Amino acid sequence: MSTIHSERSGARGRILEKLKAQVAGADYGKLPAEPSYAYPPMSRDAALARFTECLQANHAEVIEVSAETIPLAIERELVKRNISKLICGQKGKFSGSLESYFSRSDSEGIELVKYDFPLSDNKSRLFDEAPASFTHSRCSIAATGTIVLWPSEDEPRTLSLVPPLHFVLVDTHKMVSDFATLLKSEHWGAELPANVLLISGPSKTADIQQTLAYGAHGPKELVVLLLNNNTDKE
Amino acid sequence: MTVNIHHPAPSKHTAKAKNFRTSVERDLADEELRENFRGAMKFLSERRKSAFPDELELQTLREQCRLIKQRCLLKLPYLLEQLEDNLTRNGIQVHWAETTEEANSIIQRIISKREATRVVKGKSMVSEETELNAYLEKFGIECLEADMGEYIVQLAKEEPSHIIVPAIHKNKYQVADLFAKNIPGFEHTTDVDKLINEGRRVLRDKFKHADVGITGVNFAVAETGTLCLVENEGNGQMCTAVPNVHIAMTGIEKVVEWLDDVPPLLSLLTRSATGQAITTYFNMITKPRQPGEKDGPEEVHLVLLDNGRSQAFADEELRQTLQCIRCGACMNHCPVYKRIGGHAYGTVYPGPIGKIISPHMLGLDATKDLPTASSLCGACGEVCPVKIPIPKLLLRLRQESVKVAGPEETVMGGEGANRKTTEALIWQGWSAMHRHPALYRASMWLATRLHKFMPAKIGPWTSVRSAPHIAPKTLHELVAQRKNTRAKP
Repeated sequence: MSTIHSERSGARGRILEKLKAQVAGADYGKLPAEPSYAYPPMSRDAALARFTECLQANHAEVIEVSAETIPLAIERELVKRNISKLICGQKGKFSGSLESYFSRSDSEGIELVKYDFPLSDNKSRLFDEAPASFTHSRCSIAATGTIVLWPSEDEPRTLSLVPPLHFVLVDTHKMVSDFATLLKSEHWGAELPANVLLISGPSKTADIQQTLAYGAHGPKELVVLLLNNNTDKE
Repeated sequence: MTVNIHHPAPSKHTAKAKNFRTSVERDLADEELRENFRGAMKFLSERRKSAFPDELELQTLREQCRLIKQRCLLKLPYLLEQLEDNLTRNGIQVHWAETTEEANSIIQRIISKREATRVVKGKSMVSEETELNAYLEKFGIECLEADMGEYIVQLAKEEPSHIIVPAIHKNKYQVADLFAKNIPGFEHTTDVDKLINEGRRVLRDKFKHADVGITGVNFAVAETGTLCLVENEGNGQMCTAVPNVHIAMTGIEKVVEWLDDVPPLLSLLTRSATGQAITTYFNMITKPRQPGEKDGPEEVHLVLLDNGRSQAFADEELRQTLQCIRCGACMNHCPVYKRIGGHAYGTVYPGPIGKIISPHMLGLDATKDLPTASSLCGACGEVCPVKIPIPKLLLRLRQESVKVAGPEETVMGGEGANRKTTEALIWQGWSAMHRHPALYRASMWLATRLHKFMPAKIGPWTSVRSAPHIAPKTLHELVAQRKNTRAKP
């Protein structure tokens, strides 16, 4: 460990010294003004249309839901694909309603599993035994059709990544026009969580002969549940 | 001044770059390879074009991003310190490496300390620079490429031929044959969906069992101590969320000052590279696994690599090379790259950006042919999202390669390597002739009188052209003659 440290600090010192010698006379008070492009403001409807259009172009499925129909919509999609298991977080806003819906006696036999285990000792549970997942989202970006996740102990980083089918709930009241606006309005520069993930469709690649294929490593399908007429405004 | 001169240890890339002329002949003769590149370059340049429908937006963004990168370079040492402070505060360990050997050794020791042997790696061109896979192999560590293109290239025991699309030189038939040879139980198919699914199957198992994940970095944000990764496949996210250790490696020039610098750079990067408004994943890593979290790495490391970058930094003009955000647009639009492909260059970074960055990494002696391999058409400079004046820098490197080398190098390693006595003498004569009218006229008179002795073959010039004809009389003589005829009634 001590050798790593001494070598490290040696290289560090030499690199910084070389760089500093070159900018010693720089006047940081006189930097040129940086222009920025003024994007025309988007109405709520236009933003919603753009968001949906981008996601669909990127092969995601967008389904409009209300707070009451979320479990039903998920169930319908799962049944359509012959999937009988769903994994989700524990404490999210709609986790409770999923739990009570899927545990009712006349359900379609869909098993709801909670991501309440450390991944390193339970990799199979996520890699081999979880065909579909559900996460909430923090907010979304209209311009690029992007969903913003702040993974947490409740909805871990891999919940949106490993299962081949990912349902994500997007509350349209938390939609912003573009990424730059989001950083400013939420003051992300002040403090960021351990991991932030921006998702704009299912996993894909064009690495073989420029031919698009979905499900390279992450989800093959992304189903966006668009909560539009949410009356429950907090 | 010599403190900035980078003298790298000879590597596989040094040898290959020296072989440029032979490699060009080899690859130009490969019709399948040329067809693969022709198709891919047409696809990528059209994608870029359709991503920028508004010329004013494009030009505003380019100017904004040029200035952002120049500001961050001007503050580079201080931003690196700030980045280190913030990453350390966030629990991410920072390491510094001047050479590729140092970077590899740092990474190997982190892995060996955990007694780990299974490593998965997301796409990282810096790891290609250091030849990390081969290094780790010597220590019994398997380092598997997880990006589909990189995986294909690794199976074929080749190197990436493009910085964004590593296996662009291969078509689906070649990939199918490669899988058939290397993956047990693979059912031969040329269906791209099935091929990708096969890759997914193999690599998922590797992700599941990997001890360590290695990735590159697209932007390192000093303000917050955040490492940003741009990708479509999800392999980067797999590498940074599943294994217990994440090691990121990057060149020192990737640091940006503010989080607000990221959105315009990200927008230009993905649109210039593949014509996408944004990639499928944009991953921002600020801390290792926090108490209560069920996944994510316990340890996160960042290795900062110099490898000749501080040499480029020392010259204000050449410093612009470091503005690069690695989008690959310059190669996608380069008439030379399109024809010879990415492997002929022999360097990690091919195409126009490779021609201006590789001389700093490998020395101008190994790369002296690269700056000359350009028609100076200007396409690379025109599409560059951060407005690097690539054609101008190519000219500058040509000058550095033919200048009279002093006892000590002053700008870069290998300067003066392309200087040839005959060529230098010819130019000196040319220059003298144009400064002395009498000498000029005498030379012209002599040349025109000897025009019949002009050889039909003058080296490579006449390999595909006929030799030029020298006129029997000079222009001065013709004009004088004409005046005389007119004067006589």
